[in-house]
Amino acid sequence: MSQTITIDPVTRLEGHGKITIHMNEQGEVENAHFHVTQVRGFERFAEGRPYYEMPSLMARICGICPVSHLIASAKACEAIMSVRIPHTAAQLRRMLNLAQMVQSHALSFFYLSSPDLVLGMESDPKARHIFGVVAAKPELGRAGIALRRFGQHVIELLADKRVHPGWVIPGGVTEPLAAAKRDEILAMLPEAYANVALALGWYKQVAESFRPEIEVFANFPSLYMSLINEDESIEFTDGALRLIDAEGNTIDEGITASKYAEVIGEAVEPYSYTKFAYYKPLGYPQGCYRVGPLARLNIVKTMGTPRADKEMAEFKQLAAGPVQSSFYYHHARLIEALYGIEKIEQILADPLILDKQVRATAGVNRLEGAGQAEAPRGTLNHHYKVDENGKMTWANLVIATGQNNNAMNKGVLQAAKHYVKDGKFTEGVLNRIEAVVRTFDPCLSCSTHAYGQMPLVLSLVSAGGEVVDQVVR
Amino acid sequence: VVRLWIKSYAEYDGKMKLTKARCLILACGNTLRGDDGVGPWLAEWAEERFRSEAGVRVVSRQQWTPELAEEIAAAASVIFVDCATDCAAGIVRTSIVEAASGSSEPGTHHLSAAQLLGLSKELYGAVPSTSLLLTVGAGSTELGEEFSAAVKAALPEAFRTLELTVRDLLTASQRK
Repeated sequence: MSQTITIDPVTRLEGHGKITIHMNEQGEVENAHFHVTQVRGFERFAEGRPYYEMPSLMARICGICPVSHLIASAKACEAIMSVRIPHTAAQLRRMLNLAQMVQSHALSFFYLSSPDLVLGMESDPKARHIFGVVAAKPELGRAGIALRRFGQHVIELLADKRVHPGWVIPGGVTEPLAAAKRDEILAMLPEAYANVALALGWYKQVAESFRPEIEVFANFPSLYMSLINEDESIEFTDGALRLIDAEGNTIDEGITASKYAEVIGEAVEPYSYTKFAYYKPLGYPQGCYRVGPLARLNIVKTMGTPRADKEMAEFKQLAAGPVQSSFYYHHARLIEALYGIEKIEQILADPLILDKQVRATAGVNRLEGAGQAEAPRGTLNHHYKVDENGKMTWANLVIATGQNNNAMNKGVLQAAKHYVKDGKFTEGVLNRIEAVVRTFDPCLSCSTHAYGQMPLVLSLVSAGGEVVDQVVR
Repeated sequence: VVRLWIKSYAEYDGKMKLTKARCLILACGNTLRGDDGVGPWLAEWAEERFRSEAGVRVVSRQQWTPELAEEIAAAASVIFVDCATDCAAGIVRTSIVEAASGSSEPGTHHLSAAQLLGLSKELYGAVPSTSLLLTVGAGSTELGEEFSAAVKAALPEAFRTLELTVRDLLTASQRK
C-alpha cells in the first residue's frame, strides 16, 4: 500500500511550508517535496505604481530581510535612472545590509536551529525552543539574543526603524550618519564580538557529534552561486555573481544584475508557489545550485577581514573542494556574522562615513533596470520595466529561497530516504527532516501576520486516502 | 575618527547601552489590523504625555520578541499594553503578570508578557518589582487602520487608566 507522509506546517521557519513524503508499495520513500503554501503576488501589484515607490513597497515582502529587498530594489531603480550613488551612501547601505545579516543569522542559528543542536534532535518537542536553550545553556541564549539586538539596533540607528525602514531610496539614502550614532555603534562592537566568538567556539565543539546528520542533510554535489568582489572577497551589496561547480571550478562569473536573466531560469512545479531557479546552460533540474552562507564561503577566496579569514581557513579544511553538506550552513552563518561585525567596524573607520553627500537624483533614463544583493539566505535579484513616465509595467523578483528550492527538495528526499523505513517514523525523524530545510534558513513569508500557535500535523495517508496514522504537535 | 573610536572602546563597560526605566511601557500590536493597533496607539499617546518624565520609557513593537527581556529585567516596573480577544470589545482591564515558567512553549516570532518576564528572570536574574498588563478588548482585528466603535469609545478610559497606573508606579518607585 503506497502512503504519503505530510508535515504541515514545517516549524521554526520564516513563513509557512509543508513537506510530503511519498512511499511506494514496499514502504520505501519514493519522493519528497517541500511545498511553499502561500502566495504573495508582489510582482503583479507593483504594476502601475511609480518606480520610485518600489524599494519601500518591495521591502514589505519580508520582516526579517527587508533591507536586502530595499537595496536590490533601489539598485534596480538606479539602473532605470542611470545614476551612480555617492561613496558614503554605498558604504552606509553596505553597513545596513551587514547589520541585517547579523540579526537574521542570529535569529536563524540561535532561535530556530540551536534548540536542535543544544537539546538534541530527539529531545522533547515541547521543550525544543529558545526557552529550552536558555534553560540548558543560558550563556548561549544570552549571546544569541544580544547578537540579534545588536543587528537590529544598528539598523534602527542608521535607518530609524528596525523593520521596514524607509531610509534606502533610489539614488542613495535619505539622511547622512550622525557622529553620535557612529559612536554608539562602535561602543556596541566588543560585546557583539564576544557573543559571536562564544557561539562559534561552542558550535565547533559540538558539530562533530552531529556526524550522522552531516552525512545526510542535503549532502550532495551541486553548483553554488554568490556575489563576489574583483579581489575575490565576500560581498553582500555590490560586486558580480560567480557560479562554481561541485569541484570548485568557476563555470560562470561577472554576472551583473542586468545579465542575470540570461543565465538563471525559473521553473514551476505544481506543488509549490515558490519557483525553482536553475542555471540555464545546464537546464532544469540539472542546473540545481545553492546560494546563501554555504555557497558564499565555498566561492570566495577571502572574507577580507582578519578574524573571519582565520575562521574561514578552518572552514575550508572541512573538505578538499566545496563543503557539500547543508548542515554546514550553520557554521558558515556564524563566520558571516563575525565578518559582518568586523566589516561594520571597518566601514565606520572610513574618513568619509559622515559625509553629507548621500543621494544622487535623476529621472527615468532607461525603461528597464535590475539590481542584486546578497540577502542573509542568498542572492536576491529585482528586475523592473517602466514606461516613459516611470510607471511600472513589469517586475520579476528571484529570491534566495527560490534559488535554493531545488536543493532543499533534494535534501528533504535524501534525509527522508535515510530516516523513514518501512513507512515508520518517529518525532525525532520528522524533526530531522524539518531540520534539513532549516539549515537553508528559507524565508517563505515573515511579513504575514501569524495569529496564534503554529501547529504541526503529520499524517500517513494510504493510497485510498485513508489517514492511517497522525502526529499532532 | 580613530581617536573617537579608541575613546568609545576605553569607556565601554562590556554591555550594550540600556535605559534603566522606572516605568517601562511596552506596547504591542499591528496598526494595520484594526483594534490590534490599540497598543501602539496608547504608546504614542504615552510618549507625548510622559515626555517630561525622565523615568518613563515607551517602547512599541508589532510583536514582543526575546530581545526585550534585558530591558525589562533592568526596569523598576513594567506595563505591557495590548488588545485582548478574551473579553468584550472596549473592556479596559489591568492585571498583574507573573513570569511564565521555562516550560511554557513560545511562538516562533512573538512572546506573551508572561513569557517575556520568564525570560528576563531566567536570563538576567531579575524582573521588575511590579509587572502589569493593560488590555483593551478588541472588536475587530480585520485589515484596516480604523478602530471599532467599542474601542474608540474606550480610549478615554484607557488613557486615564494608563496615566493613573504610570503615576502610581512612579510614586512607588520613588518611595523605594
